[in-house]
Amino acid sequence: MQVELDKSFPIDAAPEKAWRCLQDIPGVAGCMPGAEITETIDDSHYKGRVKAKLGPATMAFNGDIEIMGLDADNRQLRLVGHGQDSKGSSSAKMDLTAWVVDGDNGGSVLKGEAQVSVTGKAASLGGRMMTQVADQILNQFGKNFANNVMALGDGAAAEEAKEALSEQPKELNGLAFVWSLIVGFFRNLFGQRKANAG
Amino acid sequence: MAASAEDIQSQTTQQRADELQGIGCSRKRKEDPRFVQGKGNYVDDIKLPGMLFADMVRSPYAHARIKGINKEKALALPGVHAVLTAEDLKPLNLHWMPTLAGDVQAVLADEKVHFQYQEVAVVVADDRYIAAAAIDLVEVEYEPLPVLVDAHRAMDEDAPVLREDLAGKTQGAHSERIHDNHIFRWEAGDKEPTDRAFDQAEVTVKQSMYYPRVHPSPLETCGCVASFDKVNEHLTVYITSQAPHVVRTVVSMLSGIPESKVRIVSPDIGGGFGNKVGVYPGYVNSIVASIVLGRPVKWVEDRMEHLSTTAFARDYHMTGELAADKDGRIKALRVDVLADHGAFDACADPSKFPAGLFHICTGSYDVPTAYVKVDGVYTNKAPGGVAYRCSFRVTEAVYVIERMMDVLAQKLGIDKAEIRRRNFIRREQFPYQTALGWEVDSGDYHTALDKVLEAVDYEGLRREQAEKREQGELMGIGLVTFTEIVGAGPTRTCDILGVGMFDSAEIRVHPTGSVIARMGTITQGQGHQTTYAQIIASELGLPSDQIQIEEGDTDTAPYGLGTYGSRSTPVGGAATAMAARKIRAKAQKIAAHLLEVSEHDLEWDVDRFKVKGVPGQEKTMKDVAWAAYNNLPEGMEPGLEAVDYYDPPNFTYPFGCYLCVVDIDRHTGQTDIRRFYALDDCGTRINPMIIEGQIHGGLNEGFAVAMGQELPFDEEGNSLGNTFMDYFIPTFVETPKWETDYTVTPSPHHPLGAKGVAESPHVGSIPCFTSAVVDAFSHLGITHMDMPHNAYRVWKQAHALGLDKRN
Repeated sequence: MQVELDKSFPIDAAPEKAWRCLQDIPGVAGCMPGAEITETIDDSHYKGRVKAKLGPATMAFNGDIEIMGLDADNRQLRLVGHGQDSKGSSSAKMDLTAWVVDGDNGGSVLKGEAQVSVTGKAASLGGRMMTQVADQILNQFGKNFANNVMALGDGAAAEEAKEALSEQPKELNGLAFVWSLIVGFFRNLFGQRKANAG
Repeated sequence: MAASAEDIQSQTTQQRADELQGIGCSRKRKEDPRFVQGKGNYVDDIKLPGMLFADMVRSPYAHARIKGINKEKALALPGVHAVLTAEDLKPLNLHWMPTLAGDVQAVLADEKVHFQYQEVAVVVADDRYIAAAAIDLVEVEYEPLPVLVDAHRAMDEDAPVLREDLAGKTQGAHSERIHDNHIFRWEAGDKEPTDRAFDQAEVTVKQSMYYPRVHPSPLETCGCVASFDKVNEHLTVYITSQAPHVVRTVVSMLSGIPESKVRIVSPDIGGGFGNKVGVYPGYVNSIVASIVLGRPVKWVEDRMEHLSTTAFARDYHMTGELAADKDGRIKALRVDVLADHGAFDACADPSKFPAGLFHICTGSYDVPTAYVKVDGVYTNKAPGGVAYRCSFRVTEAVYVIERMMDVLAQKLGIDKAEIRRRNFIRREQFPYQTALGWEVDSGDYHTALDKVLEAVDYEGLRREQAEKREQGELMGIGLVTFTEIVGAGPTRTCDILGVGMFDSAEIRVHPTGSVIARMGTITQGQGHQTTYAQIIASELGLPSDQIQIEEGDTDTAPYGLGTYGSRSTPVGGAATAMAARKIRAKAQKIAAHLLEVSEHDLEWDVDRFKVKGVPGQEKTMKDVAWAAYNNLPEGMEPGLEAVDYYDPPNFTYPFGCYLCVVDIDRHTGQTDIRRFYALDDCGTRINPMIIEGQIHGGLNEGFAVAMGQELPFDEEGNSLGNTFMDYFIPTFVETPKWETDYTVTPSPHHPLGAKGVAESPHVGSIPCFTSAVVDAFSHLGITHMDMPHNAYRVWKQAHALGLDKRN
């Protein structure tokens, strides 16, 4: 079960700031809901954990993250993560490329391309929701990352970002997730209707 | 007017016969009182002192190398007794086991996993919860390998080699292997005459079709309780098995424990449908764990494990071809099959038939020449290939020929009932030799077809369909006239692991005239306790309520090959009748002795021997039973019992004619099975009510397969159908109403004329649903649609034809 995702998140901060955040791997990992770096082996190798709760199933993926490249010229990060859930019944792999480009009004845009593949029980049980779930995870990631970058600065916006960060859920929460999926579903529905009408 | 003495006599004869509740009586099932009260005794009900629980660590990958297994953390968990891996089984040479199909299967993954959810390690603990927790603690490191899912790619040059243990071996169990992922090539019929007939034919048709991978999914999953007595070196295994005696032989051969010290017990079984024929790694692991630990070990699968790892059915990619003349008379049949067997060839077929009895695929038709080729291949999927409520691969065979009959009818513009009528084997042609080597024992196909067409007003339905089509509505009429082959089988052609496929019955008549009988078969819902007693009742003239039937315990029952492929009545039922006849022959001698006449002066009358022409001079079987223990003719040994091992001279060939009417919502693809009429001919009918129940059950499962069941995989080998969220089990809500009917054409070679019935409705109904669904679209040029015909797939067809547009 493999999905490909292509995202971009506008950030209200200078590209250099965003790039600085992007190089902080534990920080980046922390933006992923439910994820954390548990061990830093060296500059390009980390061990991490992702916890996800979906309905009755809780899955904790333990895995390795390898930084395949940090390209300062293009402000680009490429990493590969793979892990198994602690029950050994599922495994997941993500190949992520993220880069920062200039945005409007001195801001920046974080762009990301990811291939996520899941095997085992997670695929059997969650396959049909996989695209939506991955999409939601990355949306949350984008929000957190933007807040991270903005929190580097001063002033009201930074304070707001810090507050938002402190309120973010520490793991992927099933209920909140399902809710966001439902919201997403209806948005799509309306989007389509509008497109049809137009 | 007063009734004559003869009338009174015959009345009482009839009354006495009725009181026996023998053959032909709709006797209520004797099993049901305990089942409906929750008093059944299934494997999971068995609790032995000191019993431990086994659970499996399974692979998330479909194809991966095992780099390492760390079991320390699991072993450290309190309550965990053992964690076994292939390395632990290696010294015992039990890490691989032979399959029924001449291949080997990993008991625990040996260096590599070959399919998702494959058994990698077994954890044994004090209870289920500890075992489950310990599984989480076993750390397995995998290196994923390229996955092969598509059977059509299996023999590509660059396909990954799945079975490294077989790499380079050019000779398989059944034939040469032409690729490392090739298992066998199997052929039947005559290729050249068939090809010639196609070259010269006025009309030919060709259709490819896929019979999806499905799973029998009985109510009860698989499991066992293994208990090894270290002092007496005696092994007892309570197991969900459709073939306990064969399991005993296999266990003895694998473990080295003498067969006399192995006891296999199949207690109540919650449905088998072919799934419980084979020997699974879970059983072997539990047995090994019990031998190692000296304590009873229980293992019971959960539903996801069941659907993912124990035997699937079908997965046949078939191409059928018919050659015919302009009038639709068949000249030749050609079938090519690519069979996806998964990672190990664990098909449950008679040893000599790697594609089962697939070559019954000439069906009910007089096909002068035919050729069939089947190639089996390995893929990264669970092993299996069992006969899901059918005789070995007969469902696939009936599907391909019945689909092809429709395709040919469509091509020629001949009605699908008419084209069948033109090609039927005629009544006077039986016994009929098929082009692929079978001798069909008896049949009367024209009568069955006519009866069904009249019952449903076929002409009226066709008129209605024509009107609906005018209005743009979709209505389909499906028709199937199938012939099954059941009752495996004659030992000259059929064996399992070298043991001929006979079956057995042992009957003991007690002094008071009650009876205990034991058979080598095992009921899983078929109602053996009820029907076998009826056979004995009719043969011996003793009331069936006093006849006790026992099966499934290898310590008491005579050796038999078990229950699958509708073989209980054709083989076990025949053994029962033959054993009873041996008893009656002895009883006749005793009766002659008691009546002081020659045994040739006696005649049998329902429940007694009468002296011919001397009214009142008679002895009932009950009288004889008493005498058998105290008053015998000179030189005769006491007792009244017999054993029979019945080797059937031929298979039996039940048949039927099914008709289905479906309405389809062209906007949603929703199907409504408006009518389903099933006429079955299973020869002599032993218990009509049980037959009715069997037919309802088989039709339900046929409906399930045709309309919803499948086990799909994604390209990485993830199973996408292994929960009841995805896997369709029809309930009261979905199930259509069934109308049943019958004709009786007895088998000429079976002692009772019975043919077997449980599987016909499954085999026959599946192509009938397809026939109906396709028929709804046939006026638009559609000749075939693959199963399952769920709303989404039917809608896709409607959508492709632009039928779902709203005006």
